[in-house]
Amino acid sequence: MSVLEVSTGQRYHIKVIKVEAADFKVISNKRYFFNWNEEKAYEIVKLTLVDNKDILGLMSFEYIDTEKRIHVRLLAVSKENVGKNKVYDDIVGNLLTFAAKKAVLKYAEWACISLRPKTELVQHYIDKYKMNITGMTLSLEVPEILELINNYDHEA
Amino acid sequence: MKHKGKKIDILYDVVDARYSSEEEQKAEASLLMEARKKRIANRSQSDIFKARLMQLKLQMEEFLNTPAYDKKHYFTSFLETYIDTLYDKRSAFADDIGITPVSLSQVLNNHREPKEEFMLKLMVHSERAFKSLGNFHKKMWYQVYFQEKINETIANQEKWRPEVEKKVKFISLI
Repeated sequence: MSVLEVSTGQRYHIKVIKVEAADFKVISNKRYFFNWNEEKAYEIVKLTLVDNKDILGLMSFEYIDTEKRIHVRLLAVSKENVGKNKVYDDIVGNLLTFAAKKAVLKYAEWACISLRPKTELVQHYIDKYKMNITGMTLSLEVPEILELINNYDHEA
Repeated sequence: MKHKGKKIDILYDVVDARYSSEEEQKAEASLLMEARKKRIANRSQSDIFKARLMQLKLQMEEFLNTPAYDKKHYFTSFLETYIDTLYDKRSAFADDIGITPVSLSQVLNNHREPKEEFMLKLMVHSERAFKSLGNFHKKMWYQVYFQEKINETIANQEKWRPEVEKKVKFISLI
């Protein structure tokens, strides 16, 4: 899995791992948009370059076993990676792929990831990740969830 | 996007996807489940195979990333899942890789170690099966097999070490 450095076109290997207690000292609302302390009851993962500890993106999610789906709660890249002047691209795609892999690992053909973004973001997620919309909830299921994994989960 | 006359960027990469209330979550969950059931009813058998193969691949990767010896036969367990996902009868898989059903059964029941030819045929068979899923590494079955052997050997040192120690001679040079 890798992210793209926009200025050079170079791709860099990344890892997505669980947030550790010490990480909360550097995870500020200002740089990561939300109060991530409120998410401690859920799974929280961070995305970093393989050889750099700086956190480029964060995601919190919950397993809903009764419905065989993973609901993404919060998703954010670090402040310097939003908008047109972002340093790295593909951070969100990789975080969603992490959730997608966990869903397939657990639920196979029932695998589903869902999120309920604000209205203005809905079309972007449908176009970019081929998500379905039901009510206000976006979801990614088989076969599109497998496509996402294939698109992002490969060597740089 | 215009906001009070000022053009602002939509932050596509920052999403608060939490439901605003438990009631909203329940209502949305119910709608979503109905929609998913309809989509699942129309899902092709090919997509189901692909999802199960992807699950198997992720299970193998997870085993390789967190090796621990717990006496379970991971290699043969993964192999059983692989065969049962793709075939109604295990004998059909044996036929496809040119071995007898008895030989396959002995491998699956851990009564016989897989020969190198078996591993090579399994490698080629898996390349074809996973072709549409991409990125199933050639090394995967070998890695799982040998990782299990390593874990087993290290975990069972008290069983083999006393006898082996007696049979090894080395005069320290330091």
